Amino acid sequence: MNKFLILLFGTSLLLGSCIEIIDDLSINMDGSGVFKYTINLSSSKIKVNSILALDSFNGKKVPKIEEIETKIGEFKLLLEKEKGINSVQTEFNKVDFIVKISVNFSRIDDLQTGIKSVIVQLDPSSNIHQEESTWIGWDAKTLQRIVPKIIEERIKADTQTDDELLKMGSYTCISRLPKSIQHSSNPQCKLNPAKTAAMLRVNTFDMKLNPGLLEHSLTLSP
Amino acid sequence: MLFLSIGFYLIVRGQGAEKLIPPQAVTVFSINNTDLLQKVSIDEWITYDFMEEIHQELFDKSTDNKTVKDAGLDFDKRLSLFYGKTSSYELTGFTFGIKDQSALFKVFDDFEEVPSNFPGVNVYQSLFNNLLINQNNGLLIRVEPTESFLNQQTDSLWYDRGNLSPFYSMDEDEYMEEEELELEDAQKSLLEKNYFELRDSLQFEFQKKYYAEVLNSLLVQKKSLYSNDSTFRELLTHASAGVFYLDNSRNIDRSKNLWYLKTVLPSLYLDVQELYEGNIITGDLILKESAIQFDLKAAYSEPLGSIYSEMNRAKFDKNIAPFIRANQPAYFSYTINLQSAYEKAFEVLVPILSKAKDPEISFNLLMLKLGNALVNKEALFDAYKGSLFVTFNGIQKVKTRKITFFYDEQTFEYGERETEAEEDMPIFTLGFSTRRQDIPEMILEHLSQVTSKFEKKSDYWIYQKAIFDAAPVFLINAKGMFLLTNDQDLAENHREGYGTEALSKRTIANLKKSGTIAGYANLQEVALKFPSDFLEPSQRQLMEFLRNKTGSITIKSGKTTLSSTSLHVNYLYNDAEKSGKHFLDLLNTLYLLTK
Repeated sequence: MNKFLILLFGTSLLLGSCIEIIDDLSINMDGSGVFKYTINLSSSKIKVNSILALDSFNGKKVPKIEEIETKIGEFKLLLEKEKGINSVQTEFNKVDFIVKISVNFSRIDDLQTGIKSVIVQLDPSSNIHQEESTWIGWDAKTLQRIVPKIIEERIKADTQTDDELLKMGSYTCISRLPKSIQHSSNPQCKLNPAKTAAMLRVNTFDMKLNPGLLEHSLTLSP
Repeated sequence: MLFLSIGFYLIVRGQGAEKLIPPQAVTVFSINNTDLLQKVSIDEWITYDFMEEIHQELFDKSTDNKTVKDAGLDFDKRLSLFYGKTSSYELTGFTFGIKDQSALFKVFDDFEEVPSNFPGVNVYQSLFNNLLINQNNGLLIRVEPTESFLNQQTDSLWYDRGNLSPFYSMDEDEYMEEEELELEDAQKSLLEKNYFELRDSLQFEFQKKYYAEVLNSLLVQKKSLYSNDSTFRELLTHASAGVFYLDNSRNIDRSKNLWYLKTVLPSLYLDVQELYEGNIITGDLILKESAIQFDLKAAYSEPLGSIYSEMNRAKFDKNIAPFIRANQPAYFSYTINLQSAYEKAFEVLVPILSKAKDPEISFNLLMLKLGNALVNKEALFDAYKGSLFVTFNGIQKVKTRKITFFYDEQTFEYGERETEAEEDMPIFTLGFSTRRQDIPEMILEHLSQVTSKFEKKSDYWIYQKAIFDAAPVFLINAKGMFLLTNDQDLAENHREGYGTEALSKRTIANLKKSGTIAGYANLQEVALKFPSDFLEPSQRQLMEFLRNKTGSITIKSGKTTLSSTSLHVNYLYNDAEKSGKHFLDLLNTLYLLTK
């Protein structure tokens, strides 16, 4: 998914910015569900706007607002054509730099294959690894969520952002399940009172130090 | 007698290697080699941007632990760096004296001698550069066609041969049948060059052509910048550590601005060009203990001089001083007499423009004359007299708005709300003095009716979300000054000025002597505090370069006459033992700024 992020904004806009990501997955027993992804750069909008005013930043081309809008539009159109995907909704708040995507899917594999396929179509040079396309696992009993390799690599490679900014940024992973959760593999994972949803939130600084912090599996009650 | 001897010595010195500077050179930095510079190692020299062109020659193991002195150079002669640009090619190079050729070729070890067409001149070539040795004077030179010229010529030939755009998308071939594609491939001659091969060939040919042209003028016609330009000759007699020369009348980038006139209205172009006749900027870099003084003199034609003289008939505006903090990382003030300059420019330019037979220019001239007759010039020049200042106040946290997500603890559903945030921002203040405070106030009142973003707060205004739709700008209209700033502290607490924190009386007294231009920068503080992330790569390079510097720069303008004006820059540093390095640093900064 982070590949998609880079595709939209380019590496340049993400460097040195305080970023908030919400990765929200609702899944039904038959494996269908809704995936919502939100990227919020509003805490760094002065910086993002300053970078957008440049042609290039750190040797990389800076996309124009219109190009970001076009990419989001293309992403929506292409994803809608993928097998098992329907009702793709996108929203771009270009004042506060917030992008929201919502996708309905028939199977987890359709979602992951679809996103991978669209990334490759939008950027044929994209070298997306096989393991990056399976960051969610579901067998009707257990939901597994891992950190895609690309996120790990990106965060480690980011030497531009200062630690204070990274500490202010966050990655929130929400999983909504059709039955109550019996066990969570990650003690940092917070369950709601009904135990049907789990939330794991880490700041981007901790994520840089230990990308494994986001990994967890949720086992349903029998 | 002693002075006569020194004068003679300097003239003899002036007649060295710099006679090999081609007449096409527009900018020259000439270093009067001193002991200080000899101590700088070659490896340090090649880190400078002005050495970029010969970097390839020196950047190998042959230079390890050697100083410039070991390179066989003659330090009784000047080392000159030159740069020139015409509409079709650029030339860069060095001239220097040679004391020991064998030592020189131990450093320039990639050069091979080639046959010379010029009697008495030995020619050597490496992959990138050409080295010419005439007696004991060396010229290292590179001549390249300009990129725009080369592209233009390549495109012209490429399309003339019936080719499609070189950036033609291969996807378009999808619409062609397999047989059509095969036929097209079969018809292609293997000997025919593709676009980039053609470009490379042209580059090679133009390189040869213009190199020959430059050498022909220099070595056959015996024309050099030295023989062509008396100002340059005179400059080389100066005893200062370094001199700087820029012929602005031949500066191709400036003349680009006059391209329209040149092509469409050639007679008017000649008249305007006349204004720039003799517009030569020269400078002396004078090494002092813990300081380098840079004295710049701009010479110009009398008509242009008459405008500048009127413009510079102004003194530092004392209204500005209370708004500059004594510990500000940098400030700059520019004070001109705008009304006098306008009247003189009107007097000089109207006769020139009147000669034009072009209807558009004629109409614009009529508008100019009508404006002159009908506009209340008193009110106009009272509103903006011509004095302004800019300060860099460092980095401050500024209040912005951000969107944060909040979560329902029962369901983990989330919503968004706007909250206050803080971001780092470089803080600037720009201000100008005015006698008509009612005019900016009238404009602001009007704007506040048009948009709610303009808000009046007691005796100042806030333009909300003015910067990148996030941070406010404050507009202060008080004490004969109109200020625009993103400095909240200034707007809220110092609208009457900084009081005891402002510039000292002594500094103000010095500024008053400065004339039109006055400025100060604490180099390291500016470089450290300025967010270089937001700069273009070349500007960032300069900022990175300044980051390691300690010391300060002051700038002040000097006397303006009908034929010239002067400017003085003083670079003060703490570690006097590294004077040679500071000198090269300053030279490099000038090179980056003027290239």
